[in-house]
Amino acid sequence: MKNFGHLLVKEIKELVNKQLIISLAMMILIFSFIGNVTKKEIKKAVAKQKIAVLDLDQSELSRNLIGTLNMANFIIEEQGGEKEEVIQKLRQSDLGLLVVVPPGFSQEVANFKPVEVETYSYLRGISISGTRTSEVVKTLLNTTNDFLSNQYLKKRLPDINPAEIKSPIKNREFIIVKDRMAEGSSAAVIGTLYTQSYLLPIILMMIIMYSSQMVITAIAMEKQNKTLETLLTVPISRQAIAMAKMLAAGLIGLLSAAIYLYGFQMAFSFPTDELSSVTGGLAPILKQLGLTIDTQGYVLFGLSLFLAILCALSIATVLGVLAEDYRTAQSLNIPLVFLILVPYFISLFADINTMSLPAKILVLAIPFSHPFFAMQNMMFGHMGMFWLGLVYNFIFVTVMLIWTARIFATDRVLTMKLKWGKKKVVL
Amino acid sequence: MAVLEVEGLKKNYGQLQALKGISFKVDQGEIFGLIGPNGAGKTTTLRIIATLLTPSAGRVTFLGFDLKKNPEKFREKISYLPEEAGAYRNMRGQDYLEFMAKFYASNQEEIKEYVSRGQQISDLGVRLKDKVGTYSKGMTRKLLLGRALMTKPALAILDEPTSGLDVINSLEVRETIKSFVKEGISVLLSSHNMLEVEFLSDRVALIDRGQILDAGTPQELKEKYQAPNLEIVFKSSVRSGL
Repeated sequence: MKNFGHLLVKEIKELVNKQLIISLAMMILIFSFIGNVTKKEIKKAVAKQKIAVLDLDQSELSRNLIGTLNMANFIIEEQGGEKEEVIQKLRQSDLGLLVVVPPGFSQEVANFKPVEVETYSYLRGISISGTRTSEVVKTLLNTTNDFLSNQYLKKRLPDINPAEIKSPIKNREFIIVKDRMAEGSSAAVIGTLYTQSYLLPIILMMIIMYSSQMVITAIAMEKQNKTLETLLTVPISRQAIAMAKMLAAGLIGLLSAAIYLYGFQMAFSFPTDELSSVTGGLAPILKQLGLTIDTQGYVLFGLSLFLAILCALSIATVLGVLAEDYRTAQSLNIPLVFLILVPYFISLFADINTMSLPAKILVLAIPFSHPFFAMQNMMFGHMGMFWLGLVYNFIFVTVMLIWTARIFATDRVLTMKLKWGKKKVVL
Repeated sequence: MAVLEVEGLKKNYGQLQALKGISFKVDQGEIFGLIGPNGAGKTTTLRIIATLLTPSAGRVTFLGFDLKKNPEKFREKISYLPEEAGAYRNMRGQDYLEFMAKFYASNQEEIKEYVSRGQQISDLGVRLKDKVGTYSKGMTRKLLLGRALMTKPALAILDEPTSGLDVINSLEVRETIKSFVKEGISVLLSSHNMLEVEFLSDRVALIDRGQILDAGTPQELKEKYQAPNLEIVFKSSVRSGL
């Protein structure tokens, strides 16, 4: 045990090198920079925005419309003169939007004729605030339309509620999950679940990829630097050597993933008040539908993740033994990365439960798939699938660890090579 | 008294028979040399005794322990210097010695003692404070020799100990090995440089194509084959078809 700890420290020191520290520090800086820029853009988008308005009608109704715009978080800069001149003039300014109220606006409205309010958006780049301005104006015009149409209807049909004429069909939406039911918007529930869990596959992918790459590299470097033979003759068991490498890679992989995640959150986290306002109302619905994870659920998820990491580490260890040097190790890591990317993309863009049986079997045969779908399986009551995944990964890990231990205990750790030319593995 | 006994050792790599049943003994405080051309089976023999490879047949005992049953006992008491060995490039020379010493030592004092001996044997002076990645091939070899001998193993297995060294460094290494044995340690070494083995070894075995052709002290062999040196002895033994 003393020698294992001693070797583990060495393995960690070997992995935490200048390149790793610099790349992680750079990643934090880049994420921090992206985060600052994004947050500034969001602030700009949320803050009061200046828009130009050209009122060619100068009626009570047009003044009311401008007043409403003013109250709706816009700073109005009124323009005067000919339309073409104003459009031309604003090209030189920093104003992003011009709203033109046409002459005869109030007259046309009074005669129940459709009126065109023109908006001119000045695109000076692609930014969140740029897109938001025109969206808000559209919403505002829709609201105004709604208000005016309600007024017309009240004039013509004073005994009927205008809303009942405009929307004669009402919708009460219910969501059913297994044997539970709740009233609410399914789109909102799915949106919330997606928002809450979008980070999970990224973290999983990063942990598994980092750990496996590190263990492959660690073994390949021992071979390349001709230090493996000496290490194998010191008084420490071969299994301990393999385990120390796996554990060190797992720990550093976990640390790297945590740092990446921190950076990622810094860059792309939504303002908390906005997020809580979205999820806050849905929390009772989610609870009623059983779409929340309790402590036991998180423990089970942790177990699933732990087994998947062990799978990746044991496969990577065998691949590391096959590699003769660092370059070969990088090539051998590519198929493993693809195996990790398959469940990652499927978890983002597809539903494993609706896939065809052969495709489903193929995906679930990849041991890394199971934690990607574990949360979903637990929330939607597919516990059979969850336990099957856990048992499958446990068997996979046991077989791989026994195989890895046997490789390290025999000549194979030195003689096993992947011969590219002959395309066969020499055991 | 023999510290190491090898009996009928065989090793097959698939169809290839690398060792065809070799036997020899190494006594305490003795330097035993294996000489032969490249591919004769020297390194395979040393790797088996160093517990890196498993024998296909035969028996190896070290201080009474059987290799197949107690490989860990071998690892505790032997030290192996491979022909093409390296050290961790990101470690300083001194840290490398300390790292290796910790596997064998049972307390801090022993670690200090081993490291101090390793520094003395490697004779790298202030360069021990530099990273191994900055060392020349000769310096790395001296560091590794220091590592192999610092723990005073019961048996030091040295595969081509002067490989890659210039004349001066080779002479120094040979002197180090000679003086080391005076402290009662046994050495099993291999080399294709027969003059080096003749200078170092108390007894030698001539090995070719996985078989030991003959064994004895350099003097005995030279007299037997009426040869001025071991190179001629080896040539004669191969011709006589032993």
